Amino acid sequence: MIYFENVSKFYDYHTVLKSVSFTIEKGEMLFITGPSGAGKSTLLKLIYKGADFDEGEIVVGNYKLSQIRTSEIPNYRKNIGIVFQDFKLLKNLSVYNNVALALRIRGLSEREIKARVSEVLKRVNLRHLAESNPMALSGGEQQRIVIARAVVAEPQIILADEPTGNLDPNTSIDIINLLKDINLNGSTIIIATHSPELFKDTGKRVLKIDASKIVREMKG
Amino acid sequence: MYITYSIKTAFKSLIDEKWINLLCVLTVASSLIIIILMGLFLFNIERLADKLHERYGMVVFLDERLTENEIRSLLSTLQSREEVSSVRYISKESAMKELKEHLKEMSYIFDGLDVNPLTPAVELNIKKKYINAKNIKDLSNDLQKINGIDEIYSAEKIAESINYFYRSLTNLGLIIMITLTSGVIFVIYSTVKILFYRRKEEIEIIKLLGATKSFIRMPFLIEGSIIGFTGGLISIIVSFLFYFAITYRLGSVFPFVETLIFPTEAIFVFLIIGALLGIIGAFIAVGRLRF
Repeated sequence: MIYFENVSKFYDYHTVLKSVSFTIEKGEMLFITGPSGAGKSTLLKLIYKGADFDEGEIVVGNYKLSQIRTSEIPNYRKNIGIVFQDFKLLKNLSVYNNVALALRIRGLSEREIKARVSEVLKRVNLRHLAESNPMALSGGEQQRIVIARAVVAEPQIILADEPTGNLDPNTSIDIINLLKDINLNGSTIIIATHSPELFKDTGKRVLKIDASKIVREMKG
Repeated sequence: MYITYSIKTAFKSLIDEKWINLLCVLTVASSLIIIILMGLFLFNIERLADKLHERYGMVVFLDERLTENEIRSLLSTLQSREEVSSVRYISKESAMKELKEHLKEMSYIFDGLDVNPLTPAVELNIKKKYINAKNIKDLSNDLQKINGIDEIYSAEKIAESINYFYRSLTNLGLIIMITLTSGVIFVIYSTVKILFYRRKEEIEIIKLLGATKSFIRMPFLIEGSIIGFTGGLISIIVSFLFYFAITYRLGSVFPFVETLIFPTEAIFVFLIIGALLGIIGAFIAVGRLRF
């Protein structure tokens, strides 16, 4: 599904990733861990074409990312749901419209959008807050909106960058359980986190990045 | 389809940013009013120029000794010229009759004459595109070589003046209209650019969610077209009121004012032009989107 081969990324003279190679199977749930600044977020960015790599090759499904044309990027991104560390919610839209946006971009009818958004908001336990402004909600609630937006279009891949970043332990467990459920439905999920509690006892594969390289592969 | 979303987003932006949009609509309307009035002026000038062209003619004086057959042949030669739209033969007798009618009470001065001193002539109407000093002079020189033609009255200077008057006004009008049209595009461009920058963060987010270029551009193009359309509508209403006031108030004092025409097609044309200029300005403002 996702294939990294000797991928390197440099920012000016600073090496963020150096010759990183790994494979992720379809339907797998993978954790990427490491200290802050290790390159976890950059690795996710490279997958969703939020940044370009300097060496190597990344293959995602049928796309070779070194050869992807600019005009293909929107369609490519439609296969990916992203849970951003800083949420990236639209302040002027309600919870419902923030989630619906992912479907509007995909050209679905308003009727279908309504059905799907209601279902996903119920799943993340936010149905009662559908008309609220996201900025008026708590960090955990905002995080769940972002997850709802990432999964509503049922993408093949979900990338989650520190999805429990500023949340309390109980809410964090809820979020991870939610992502596990989504994974059980067949989506490939990659979670970047610096917190070992999240993958402990999950039985999922964990890649540890340090000093721009994958230094260890283990089971959670 | 995302057109519903684009329309809603465009209207939301129009309301949220009402003051900058209102200012833009009024600026567009002011420019379009000048363009419409200039267009109206040129349209009426062209009508006037057409009338002047219709009135312009050359007079060819013929040899009195020409026989009827020779005159017929000569008329056929003149009519076959590319520059000539129509010919009218004026016999000696018709010329005298027309002159007497023209002089009215003074016509008695010809009563004592035993002989008609006037010569037969042919009045030539010239096609509009050939009315300029050079063509008229060339035609005059050519006709001079034909047997049976004594003299030609061509009034080259009048022909040139009509042409110069019409050309100058048209050119001046077009320059003003092009300048103001560019101004309208620039005003809409600046407004949409400001709105685009205000929504920059939002645009970056929807890009990451998989939005295509057309999904991002569409609300801005709709917003630009609404600004242009509304500007066009206001300018048409104001221009028509201005035209109505001018013809109604000044018509009795200056009768020629009543002959001015406000073509109804202009209403639809300027609404479409307004919307099109809005779309062009917005399209340039959004520019190339990078992913």
